Amino acid sequence: MEEVLNALARALSFGTPLLIACLGALLNERAGVVNLGVEGMMALGALASFAVAYGEAGDGNLWLAVLAAILAGGLSALLHGFVTITLQANQFVSGLALSMVGLGIAGLLGKRYEGLPLFDHPSEEPFILGAMGLALLLAFLFGATRLGLSLRSVGENPAAADLLGINVLALRYGAVVAGGALAGLAGAYLSLVYRPSWTDGMTAGLGWIAVALVIFVGWNPLRAIFGAVFFGLLYYLQFRLQGQSGIPSEVFASLPYLLVILVLALSGLRGQQGNAPEALGKPYRRGER
Amino acid sequence: MKIRLLALLVALGLGLGLAQQSNLKACFIYVGPIGDVGWTYAHDEGRRAAEKAIPGLTTQYVESVKPADTLATVDRLVAGGCNVIFTTSFDFMDQTLEAAKKYPNVIFAHASGFKRAPNMLTYMADFYQIYYLNGLMAGALTKSGKVGYVAAFPIPELKRHISAFALGVRAVNPRATVNVKWINAWYSPVKAREATEALIAEGNDIVAFTEDTATVIQTAARRRVPSFSHYNSMYKYAPDYVVSGQLVDWSVIYIDILKKVQNGTYTPKNLENVDYWWLARERAVMLGAQVGMPINPKFEPALKQATMVVNGKRMSVYDRVMELYRDIQSPNPKWDPFTGPIRDRNGVLRVPAGRRMTVKELNEMQWVAPGVVGPVPDEPK
Amino acid sequence: MRLEPLPNPSPLRSVGVTLLALGLAFALVGGVFWAYGLSPLEAYRTMLEGTLLDPRGWQEVLRRTIPLLLIGAGLSLAFRTQFYNIGAEGQLLLGAVLAAGVALFLPLPPALSLPAMALAAALGGALWCGLAAWLKNRFYVNEILTTLMLNYVAQSLVIYLINGPWRGKDVRGYIYSDRFAEYQQLPVLLGSNVHWPTLALGIALALLLQLLLFRSTLGFRLRVVGENPGAARYLGISQSRAFLVVALITGGAAGLAGFGEIAGIHHRLIEPTQLSSGYGFTAIIVAWLARGNPALVLLTAPLMGLILAGGDVLKVSFNLPFRIVDVFSGVMLFALIGSELFLRYRLRHR
Repeated sequence: MEEVLNALARALSFGTPLLIACLGALLNERAGVVNLGVEGMMALGALASFAVAYGEAGDGNLWLAVLAAILAGGLSALLHGFVTITLQANQFVSGLALSMVGLGIAGLLGKRYEGLPLFDHPSEEPFILGAMGLALLLAFLFGATRLGLSLRSVGENPAAADLLGINVLALRYGAVVAGGALAGLAGAYLSLVYRPSWTDGMTAGLGWIAVALVIFVGWNPLRAIFGAVFFGLLYYLQFRLQGQSGIPSEVFASLPYLLVILVLALSGLRGQQGNAPEALGKPYRRGER
Repeated sequence: MKIRLLALLVALGLGLGLAQQSNLKACFIYVGPIGDVGWTYAHDEGRRAAEKAIPGLTTQYVESVKPADTLATVDRLVAGGCNVIFTTSFDFMDQTLEAAKKYPNVIFAHASGFKRAPNMLTYMADFYQIYYLNGLMAGALTKSGKVGYVAAFPIPELKRHISAFALGVRAVNPRATVNVKWINAWYSPVKAREATEALIAEGNDIVAFTEDTATVIQTAARRRVPSFSHYNSMYKYAPDYVVSGQLVDWSVIYIDILKKVQNGTYTPKNLENVDYWWLARERAVMLGAQVGMPINPKFEPALKQATMVVNGKRMSVYDRVMELYRDIQSPNPKWDPFTGPIRDRNGVLRVPAGRRMTVKELNEMQWVAPGVVGPVPDEPK
Repeated sequence: MRLEPLPNPSPLRSVGVTLLALGLAFALVGGVFWAYGLSPLEAYRTMLEGTLLDPRGWQEVLRRTIPLLLIGAGLSLAFRTQFYNIGAEGQLLLGAVLAAGVALFLPLPPALSLPAMALAAALGGALWCGLAAWLKNRFYVNEILTTLMLNYVAQSLVIYLINGPWRGKDVRGYIYSDRFAEYQQLPVLLGSNVHWPTLALGIALALLLQLLLFRSTLGFRLRVVGENPGAARYLGISQSRAFLVVALITGGAAGLAGFGEIAGIHHRLIEPTQLSSGYGFTAIIVAWLARGNPALVLLTAPLMGLILAGGDVLKVSFNLPFRIVDVFSGVMLFALIGSELFLRYRLRHR
């Protein structure tokens, strides 16, 4: 029993940054904009929050640190918004560019914070609970509010939404910036809570996993909780199960990825595939079709 | 008049000397970023110390170089006037040899490899003796009899270190085990954390590791588990929990090599058999939670209380560690952890009684010592 | 101000807008250099001297171009068909694995060895990507997710092999396979790492795929599937088959890139993060910049090769952190795609 609880605690601890970033990506994808730049925004958030929390000698304000991460993520997403919404450029390429610029800038600016310890750090619980609450909130937003309905319509059929008087561009901007803010927050969790330290490359591909999880959970915020915890559990178990049998460690290391594919294939077999928003990835231009 | 002439001669001599010295440009090719707080950071510290210690020496570095880019990087460095090039990763071995053939007048020095040429030497600062001392302390401090180890890749270097560590643990506590989790990465804070969590969940109450961040130490401290610093001073990350550790000082090797290049001892023609295998005796490695602190004072009482039997005599673990540490730092150490008889964990006799393992054997070590638990790829049966 | 569509933008306008965008990117990155205490002009001069004005620089640009060309050509076809393969990195690794397997364990006459390795590599990459297409067709699993996840699985596979069964006898226990024999190594341009047969293969592939796409029935079908799935259904063109074909081609091309890296440069199977330098991801950019024309990859691949090689020059000459390359390519990319709007529209003051 203790064993199960412990594994669950690990799943939640590791799954939380995935959940937060996944919810962010989910939010902007529901509004029709893909942002592959999660990894870069996460890195910027991680650095911004660590820099503020460290201050001059490890004595910065933690609340301000979290806020800095949210701002860093949101502002960098604004760039993605400008390029893809206003300039109508390809969302996939812009996201890739953002992940490069984000990782690059964080790496360049972060030199002076490399490997510093942070003793006064927040505990995991508020973040874990906050992430869950956020998932519920998004589910409520999409399921039961006018704003949610508008967001979804912008992602499904922007022309029709436009005709109904919904401001497509404004909503898309809002969703992209909010999504980026959440990616930044996920970064803050990594550098303030999970480690707590900053080193270049510490996001370790988690941003990409978050992007994949959005597909895995079928764009559904409630299922995102299970998706992130499921992945977190498998990730932890690759080490917990290592050495308990003659099976090579590399098999366990690939299990999280293989099982995600397997689960998705099984749900596809039963016809339970989540559907991508209809207008996902397509820039909206008034007056075209 | 005479004095003025003398002064002129001295000035000329100095000038010439300086001119000769200023020709020396040492360049470093790193496998990782210099801020990694691990392997590359330590090499860069060594570079900076060498630059301070040797007048007229200029240095340059290139970070995060992939093996595929090595040759091109060497091309550019040589064009920029480098006459000694250090390649600081095993992964650069084949490419460094190729470069040495292409530039016969440039001196190459390759860390941790085994291929040499007339203008290419090899060097390594190794921890295995220090690991044994850390093992003694881990054996004394563990209550559950289970010591965890987060390990990068299953290569001879790690098998040697883990084995020396396990021999130390068992010298104090013959029933204790060293439980290994492989993360198959040199740098991965995320994997390091989850592997540490798994080890602690399995009941390990002391952890040691090989990875390029302080994550294992930070994670262990969260769970109130003592740990051992790796590569650099990591005491500052958890002052209450870092017991000791293994520390490196590459600068002694860099300074020695560069001085010998400067005074003409090393030329691009005579390096075929030059291999540095430097240990505590040469001060290339140290025992410590941080530089100048071999054992964290917080753990001294416990280590003085714990006892072990050495050659029929009972003594405290603290005294044993200090005695051995003094010995391996002396000009002629009498003791070595890999002195026979040693069997591997499958019972095969690997080092006969009365014999020590040679440097070559240590470098090719594939077996692991008794007490090591966990899968070890490519282990001889 | 408002945007006014341009029905037929002149080529001059395209060149002008692109040059302006590049100028903007250079100015922005120049700002980064300046913030680093480095004169932007000095930095650009050094980059230029170290790449295009130096024969060794050219070699570096070419060496980086080879895998980008192969993978990019394949990906441009895949993106045209709306098959979002972002797992070229894993397919490259699978190619390397199968090529290494042939080199190490299949006793072949020396003359046949290299071709067999290339074939095996193409097969490995094709199967790895084909798996994603099969999962998409049969189980409706989104290929972005599958190809991304399979990257990690491919990494684990390579590590398993060199940790265990394929560990070399000549490497003293290090995690490498044995070195390939001389006849299993690709010839290179003198004194460089430019494995020219693979370069030739890349050029041929880009041209061939261009012909396939625009001069064949299969190409027509692929384009219809990509541009108008509804019409494809109406015309009785199987979407599933199109995806499978495209996956096999693009995966095979990535596999060939893996063959080039290990037969041309490393000469053994090595640890995955050291093997590839992230070409599978960089090639996505190469393919997008080519706007679905495999032949245009002949321009965009060397452009990215130039940025990568130029970043190396900055690293060596000014001790700049390696992340400068990411900033450089990211900003360049933003400027290029951000400018596309002005190719098709012009600004009018109301």
